[in-house]
This record gives sequence, C-alpha cells and structure tokens, in this order.
Amino acid sequence: MEMKQILLLVLLAVAAHATEPVEVLVQGAEKLEVTDLVAALGPQAEKIAIGPFSFWLGRIGPHRVAVSLTGQGLINCTAATIVGIEEFHPRLIVNQGTAGAQAPFLALNDIIVGRRALDYGNFITPVRAAGAGSSPLTWTPIPQSLRDPATDKMVAFPRGFTGDAAAIAVALRTRNPLGRVFPGVVGSAHEVNLELDRVRWSHETFGMDVEEMESAHVAALAHAFGLRYVTFRVVSDAPYEGVPFDALAARATALFTINFLGNLPAPTPGSN
Amino acid sequence: MRLLPASLRALAVFIALGLVLARSAPAPADAVDLLLVSGEDRALQPVLDRLQGAQRETHAAWTLWVGALAGKRVAVVRSDGDPLNAVAATTLALRHHPPRLIFIFGTARAHDPALHDGDVVVAGNFAAFDGIVSPTIDLGAGSDALHWDRLPHLLMTSGETEKAADTFPADPDATTVALKLRAPSGRVLRGVLGSANQINREADRIAWLHAHWGTSTEDGESAHIAGCAALFGIPVAGARVVNGSPADAAKFALEFTEAWK
Repeated sequence: MEMKQILLLVLLAVAAHATEPVEVLVQGAEKLEVTDLVAALGPQAEKIAIGPFSFWLGRIGPHRVAVSLTGQGLINCTAATIVGIEEFHPRLIVNQGTAGAQAPFLALNDIIVGRRALDYGNFITPVRAAGAGSSPLTWTPIPQSLRDPATDKMVAFPRGFTGDAAAIAVALRTRNPLGRVFPGVVGSAHEVNLELDRVRWSHETFGMDVEEMESAHVAALAHAFGLRYVTFRVVSDAPYEGVPFDALAARATALFTINFLGNLPAPTPGSN
Repeated sequence: MRLLPASLRALAVFIALGLVLARSAPAPADAVDLLLVSGEDRALQPVLDRLQGAQRETHAAWTLWVGALAGKRVAVVRSDGDPLNAVAATTLALRHHPPRLIFIFGTARAHDPALHDGDVVVAGNFAAFDGIVSPTIDLGAGSDALHWDRLPHLLMTSGETEKAADTFPADPDATTVALKLRAPSGRVLRGVLGSANQINREADRIAWLHAHWGTSTEDGESAHIAGCAALFGIPVAGARVVNGSPADAAKFALEFTEAWK
C-alpha cells in the first residue's frame, strides 16, 4: 500500500472519528424547532440519518453540537435520545421546543428554563362502578421510576428530574429575542389539556408551569446515563388567555438556544 | 520517505480501520433470532432459568440477557413495566442485539368485558391509549375524561416526517403461531393489547377506552414497545394473560419460542 493511500485512510478515519463525541446534543421534536439550529451549524454541517432519526453535526459558538430531530411524544423522543447518546456521547443534552402554559402569568413566546421536569401523565384511578362516571381530578399520580443499577431496585422520582444547575444559570442570563425568561417546572405527557380545572390541578399538584410531550422523558434518560440535562420550553399556547397554538413560537426557543450555546463556557482542553 | 516499513504500514492500517469502526458506536451489534420482552421479574425468571449460556448486559438502567433457547439465539430484556423504561430497554436491545422478531409477554387487566381471568390475549394490534386532547372548558366546570378525544402517537420516519397510527400491527405470521398455542388456564383469543402508565379502575372509563381505542386489555408497556419496533421496522408480536399469573405468561412465551420458526 502506498503512503498516499495510507494517509488517505488515516485522514478518512480521523475525519470520521472527529464527528464524535459532541459536547451538546440539542433536540427538537418538530422541524420548526430545529430549523434555525441546523442553519446555525453553518454550511459545513454534516447530516447523519440513523434509522428514522436525523442528526446534524457542526459547531454553534465554541461547542461541537449534534442537533436531533426527535419527533414528538415519548416513543419517538426516548428512542431518538438513546440513539443520540450512544452515537454522539454528549456531555449535555438540551431539549427545547414549544409548550402550553399552565401558569396564568405566562404569555406567548415566554420561555421556561426547566428547574425540573416530570412526567405527569401516569395515574391510578379510584374504583368507580358503572354509571359513576370518570373524575380525573381524583386520580393519584404514579411517579416515573428508574432502576438503580447499583441496587437493582426501582427508584421513584415523584418530583421528576432536576436540570443541570450550571446550564440553568447560563440560560437565566441568556436573551430571549421574542419574550421573557423564567425558571420553572416542565410537565410531559402525551396530552393536550384545555380543561382549565385540570390545568390548574396539574399546576397545583406538580408545580407545573408548562405542559409538553418530551422533556421529562429525556430528563429521565439523561439521569440514567449520568449526563447533564436542561430543557427550554417556549409558550406556544395559553389556555387561560384563549391563545391558540402558534407553531412559530418554536423560533423563540431555537434562537434562545443558539444564544445559550454562545454563552455556555467552552469545554476545557482534554475534558471531552 | 515515500513508503513506510511494512510493520508500520500494517500498524497504520490497523489504527485507521479501528478509528473508522469506532465511528459506529456502540459495540458491533450481535444479532439474535428473537427478543423476548417483559416488565415483570416473575414472568422473566422462568424464561431466564431456561436460557442456556446466558450473558447478562447492563446499559445504564436497563438489563438484558443473551443466550440460547429452543435452538434459537434469544435476547431477553427487562422492560420494567412503563412506557419510558420499556422503550428505552427495547431500543437498547434492538441496537445491541437486532432480532428477527420481538415477542412481548406478561399479565394485563381486562378492558373487554367478554374476557375471563386466565384468558390469553394474542395481539392482532397494539394501542397506546395514553394520548388525549381535552375540550376547552372554563374554570369551575370540572374535568371529565369521558369527553376527551384520543391523541394517537406519531412515529418518526426516515423522511423527517411523522406518521400517525391509531394502532401498531402485530406480525401476522407470529400471531398465527401464537393463536395455535394452548393457554395454561383459559382461552387463547386475538385482541388489541393496550398500554399506558395507568391503572384504570373506573368502569365507565374502561368502557370508554374499550369503545374508542378498541383495547382488549391494559398494561404498562406493550403498545409502546410495539411503537418502538415500528420505528425501527422490526416485526413484533405479543400475548398477555388476563389477570393471570406471571408464571403462566412465561409458560406461554416459552411455548411460543418453541413453536416459532
């Protein structure tokens, strides 16, 4: 084999290997939630398709980033997160996108930075006989559990999973170009709740400020893999104010995430 | 120097190929014939007791075993009984041990009033019934699950679009095999295995779920595993014992493993 061929093979290998790991895995469930992020990666961004999932690799600010289009809901985001973790070995996962307001003070394009995220869609109902109806406000929540590999026992997380403190601190001094920024609690379930009594019940029971479909599931996975995690959710609809879903609110959280990555300190040499 | 010495050339090629292969994390997949999935330790244990040469693997919070059963290479994964754990465990199993078929087994609660304790419901379809959209209702007007609408799960496709599905189909050939087996106690029936991380005990809501999702039974994970299988294009089948013992579920899964080719 000629030296030139060997060098080509080595360069190919180094180039391929250089696609991993990334520092940050940034997720969005819908195309509108990742469009600005993919554009921010620049013209040299590399797209990689793995099964049904698409990832774009490049740099935003000082960070090597994989942007992931997960699809909405638990099934999609759980599978996409596992693929993203195993393929790109991120140190930090940022899950971002739209959400429905549950706290009355929130307005369209406001962003909640998740102090914690929890799955609020799991419950056990009381026993009711036929004809006695259904009463969701009396249901008892079932917390998400994860198995602790050290003990092989299931551990419940009734308050959900906390966001990474350092990432939250950076996010809370990051500019949202389209609205305000608050720390808060993000609830996830495959639900769209527009009954105001149940919205209030969720807010009071779980402390939820917004509801959406992925953050808490990704937070649980990040916890299980020992990775840093943070979620940013922009208010895209507000049932108290009668504000219907505005898909374009996704731009706010994408632009906010780009600003966040610019503010997030660069990794120290040799730390990845 | 135009050419490296032979030994250095070999070393360079070895390093280069190693780096290329390292790109495709995780470790190379080890294919199996069948992936058995259950969330119940008491259903898993009789299967693990029969798994020859079992090798245990743990990936973060999830555990699977690989060995031989009924002349087949089989992986067994513990799905821990709820959608998140089940989809995570299944995704890890599919990536590390891609199977020809996934078979889900365990116990379930009845939604169909025609079912009896001990009946085995073999999936014709799976329905993830946790998705809801509630109507706009003012403060003080309460909440009524019987007036909610269904919200089917969307599955991502390789075209960067999502596809909605009310139910996920079971593999017809595997379903035919399962329907020919005998239940440890009760009948073997075709039905719809429903799942959500819910324990529904309101009779009117159970009737609503049965009417609107077509569910025969409910458990914590079956349909979500089937959705995960559909994401990756892996055939899936399943059977649940109605209000039965995990041991009976294991017995049915072992008989299926013997019968399925």
